[in-house]
Amino acid sequence: MPDELLVDVDTLRTQVREKYRDVATDPHGPHHFHTGRPLASRLGYSDAIVDDLPDRAVESFAGVGNPFSLRTIEPGSRVVDVGSGAGFDSFIAATQVGTAGRVIGIDMTPEMLAKSRATAAHLKFDHVEFREGLAESMPVDDGWADVVISNGVINLCVDKQAVFAEIFRVLRPGGTLQFADIANGRPVPIEAVRDVDLWTG
Amino acid sequence: MLEDSGFEQITIGPPVDTFRGARGEANARSFDVYGYAFLAHRT
Repeated sequence: MPDELLVDVDTLRTQVREKYRDVATDPHGPHHFHTGRPLASRLGYSDAIVDDLPDRAVESFAGVGNPFSLRTIEPGSRVVDVGSGAGFDSFIAATQVGTAGRVIGIDMTPEMLAKSRATAAHLKFDHVEFREGLAESMPVDDGWADVVISNGVINLCVDKQAVFAEIFRVLRPGGTLQFADIANGRPVPIEAVRDVDLWTG
Repeated sequence: MLEDSGFEQITIGPPVDTFRGARGEANARSFDVYGYAFLAHRT
């Protein structure tokens, strides 16, 4: 049975916004996942790159893997970050593409957008921009991106097929999708899938 | 699902024990949840 019949989309989005609002405003709070520099180190991000970023760029990082572990993004690339949060992966991408490239982060949580935009201004990263939007309907032109990245976001979307279709739309033909996310090794019972609290906690 | 959406040359990295030591570890263990990196190319 498709997940979209088991969970209300608006209820889940509201809960996700509330969860990640807390991660934006209280990054060291009692979350059910690791955050910040310890998490980045656990996931294998280069210390040399992470150490150069200010705390505000790293502290609300709440990814589940390393989307750069299988491929480094080429200089000059145009990148979309789906669910950019406080911008950590967007800033990593920005260092890889350089000023000849461009990064657009998309997020639906106002507190995360405010934080990522302020950090981009602080870093003087003029080639990074953050836009409000949903993973299923991103404010990005068809075929704009050379690369799409994401980290721990698609698992929080009810209609994953719609998200991948949207990523396909914004990528140019031959473009690259490099993302990190969680996967379960054991089947999740229907009653657990219906439990919205388990999606975010 | 990736192939159904028009992606090819799919590579999956090794599992990462993302939730080890976190408050969500028990739930993650219940369903064998790990983090993975994925790489795919648009057709």
